[in-house]
Amino acid sequence: MEELIEILTDINPDVDYGKEQALIDGKILDSFSIITLIGEISDHFDIEIGPKYLVPENFNSVQAMWDMIGKIQDES
Amino acid sequence: MSITSVVFLAFLAVVVIAYWAVPNKKYQWCILLAASCIFYLSTGSRNMIFVLTTAVSAYLAARWMQRLSDTQNTYLKEHKAELTREDKKRIKRRGLVQRRWVMAGTMLLNFGILCYFKYLNFVLGQVGILAGFLSGRRSFWSPVDLLVPLGISFYTFQTMGYLADVYWEKVKPEKNFGKMLLFVSFFPQMTQGPISNYSQLSGALFAEHAFSYQDYSYGCQRMIWGFFKKLVVADLLSPYVTEIFASYGKYPGITVLVGAFLYSAQIYADFSGYMDIMCGFTETLGIRLAENFERPYFSKSIAEYWRRWHITLGAWFKTYIYYPIAVSGWNRNLAKRVQKKFGAAAGKSMPATVALVAVWLVTGLWHGASWGYIAWGGVNGLFIIFSLWMEPVYGKGKQKLGIREEGLGWRAGMEGFSDSQDVSSGYVYQSFAGSGDAGGRDRILETDF
Repeated sequence: MEELIEILTDINPDVDYGKEQALIDGKILDSFSIITLIGEISDHFDIEIGPKYLVPENFNSVQAMWDMIGKIQDES
Repeated sequence: MSITSVVFLAFLAVVVIAYWAVPNKKYQWCILLAASCIFYLSTGSRNMIFVLTTAVSAYLAARWMQRLSDTQNTYLKEHKAELTREDKKRIKRRGLVQRRWVMAGTMLLNFGILCYFKYLNFVLGQVGILAGFLSGRRSFWSPVDLLVPLGISFYTFQTMGYLADVYWEKVKPEKNFGKMLLFVSFFPQMTQGPISNYSQLSGALFAEHAFSYQDYSYGCQRMIWGFFKKLVVADLLSPYVTEIFASYGKYPGITVLVGAFLYSAQIYADFSGYMDIMCGFTETLGIRLAENFERPYFSKSIAEYWRRWHITLGAWFKTYIYYPIAVSGWNRNLAKRVQKKFGAAAGKSMPATVALVAVWLVTGLWHGASWGYIAWGGVNGLFIIFSLWMEPVYGKGKQKLGIREEGLGWRAGMEGFSDSQDVSSGYVYQSFAGSGDAGGRDRILETDF
């Protein structure tokens, strides 16, 4: 999870990712950031984030993203 | 059948009576299917042939993709112990490629039919002009006489969206061909939308509905409101707008400006009036269609406007064009190359920029087969892309000036300013260009999911 937080910090360093639970709903991550984040996660964890995972619930918090990554890795 | 004709109203009344009179609610959807088939056949049996082509091809393709998935999963499960991780990846990759070919072939067929009817004359025209230019002679192209099948844009987009959802394993394929045909041909949506996704519409169409007086009366009220918009507002404005735009040269500028405003009112009343009539009708059956308008002229930015005007078309483009392009591997690689050459900011904005260019070119083509529409889509796209790029500059400017957007003074001032800007520029621009657009990054975010 540290790697994921590192990726997020590179994208937007002004957020407390440990506490934040509304990264999407609270518009903390903007459109460009989301696209960049998806790309970075895909490259770093060697996974393809398919369209069925592109829902706000999967990106609102670090834990949600981590769970999504784990699920995709299990499926692949 | 015009939706404001007595014949069509009588048809709707018969559908409502039959729908609620059916003894077993499990077969309510069959009434809707019969009504949709009758509607299409009444417009010409030729239209029904194209609807059936789309329904049959999508039905078979979806079930084929599911069979490929099931076969693959069964094999992986049975040979779990003996397969290495690399073997499993290879098998899954092969299955994905097979399903992709099935989806691509079906999409090629259906979009091919759509493009043939909508764009053949445009393409031939351009080829003819080019040939004439190169040969030094006048263009010798003459248009092909084509009658576009009723609703083909709407049901093709809707059905191909379903196919993509099956490919992405977001939904399971529909096993009942009758239900598939109803999803494709549901007549209230056919001429002007909304374009629904399968998850949302199938739940509404195939459920057993108990009669609700509230839904029925609200639906009737909404239909009456829709008829008012179409017959009283849109139809009354139409002759004035048509005359002004047909002969703008002989009118003073102020008349043309007024005509532009009237056109904005006319097009909104006509389009949203249709939605009110059809959504009101389906509400009398207990079925809620997706909304297509949300007071678009109250928008404060172009991106917000496009989130409020023809909402389902925008959602379709976002789901099936914008996101797949924005997150694709080749786009990410392009972004890395751009970042190396032009810096982090440029690299970060590249994927979304490329995706937006694609979305807005297709949006332009959706609206019409001409360079004017392509240019209109391009202008809208440029506005949105430019505003996204400028957002960091805008943010720094606000910071330097100490502007707090949550403050009362800012909000009161900007609301008044932006409303006046919208009225003066948005309406006029929209009238002449089809629709105007400018956006903010945060606005796009709201459409991301």
